[in-house]
Amino acid sequence: MTEKGGQGFGNSKGGKSAHKSSGHIILGKDNGSAKSKGGRKVQFESEGSGDKVRKGDKIANGSKSSQAKAPSTQECRLERELPENSKFLMDCEAAEILQGIQEQMVMLSEDPNIKLPVSFDSGLMYAKRGSYRTKSLTVGKILQPLKIYGVSDAEICQIANLRAESVEEVFCLIPSLKAKENKIKEPLRIALGELTNLRDALDELAKFNESVAMD
Amino acid sequence: MFFHMILERNMHLHPRHFGRDLRDKLITKLMKDVEGTCNGRHGFIVAITGIESVDKGLVLDGSGYATFPVKYQCVVFRPFKGEIVEAVVSMVNKMGFFAEAGPVQIFISNHLIPDDMELQLGDMPNYSTSDGSVKIQKDCEVRLKIIGTRVDATEIFCIGTIKDDFLGVISDSGQTS
Repeated sequence: MTEKGGQGFGNSKGGKSAHKSSGHIILGKDNGSAKSKGGRKVQFESEGSGDKVRKGDKIANGSKSSQAKAPSTQECRLERELPENSKFLMDCEAAEILQGIQEQMVMLSEDPNIKLPVSFDSGLMYAKRGSYRTKSLTVGKILQPLKIYGVSDAEICQIANLRAESVEEVFCLIPSLKAKENKIKEPLRIALGELTNLRDALDELAKFNESVAMD
Repeated sequence: MFFHMILERNMHLHPRHFGRDLRDKLITKLMKDVEGTCNGRHGFIVAITGIESVDKGLVLDGSGYATFPVKYQCVVFRPFKGEIVEAVVSMVNKMGFFAEAGPVQIFISNHLIPDDMELQLGDMPNYSTSDGSVKIQKDCEVRLKIIGTRVDATEIFCIGTIKDDFLGVISDSGQTS
């Protein structure tokens, strides 16, 4: 089977070289070979934080100095690595999509040709963990106002997936937001509060439903 | 992190499938060939969500097979450096511990585990603090940061750390959801 090579990928065996003349990929190419240019089979990149991690004192609310690249550089790199039409998904969004597919599979399960791969089950379980009750639409509406302050889609998804309890936690774990700390601290605090209230309410509702079911 | 993207693939179809069900055969073959695979650029292709377009086929000289460019939408899971993930511990040993986040396996070296946690061997090896208040063992959930990724032909393997603020055990094995 001939695969179209994407930008930055070596040719697969017997495949055609298909570097786009425009210099960037308009549509992502599904490349069956993961071999990179130069015949490297494996690439390993590390921030090398093992050598530079501080020992001993940790400040609970302090921000750690890290060797992370400049926030915009990291995000730009991620966007360069992915096809242009890629959309970041929150875990709850992915859970809804995958859950819908799984429900369809129940109807299609008579066809032996159609089977779900192992990575589907593990992906669905991962997406559902802790967020199986929250709807992506609701979470999206709560976090949407942060976009006005320059928070990107990737950062919003990371905030949603973190399930953080405090603003300090978010800034510590998503270093790219530090640059906008002054602008977004208060809106972020409000959004996190709303998300926590939502999860607590849904947990209470679930407990109530369970107790009703047991009676 | 999960992504939704549009990818393209050239599907080869044997002449015996030419007929009124050609499109269905193409889609079935696409799902079989693509779902569950992994490559370095896109990560794990978890599920195909739709078919964007199927262009005209081209018969290959000599073989009779036809090639159809198919654009499809899919959900992929791709970890990236610096990402914070919540993973389930799958194995603990003296080198560190392994954890799984979806289809991705992550290794956390003992050098990247807080210094106040030590390995306790036994029936259920674990890393725990001296007072036993925090314990990392099989099936417990941990929040970690990915600091490196290795791309293989069929999988992505990551290196992680829990030696930073707000990282570490989320829940014990008995409370894993």
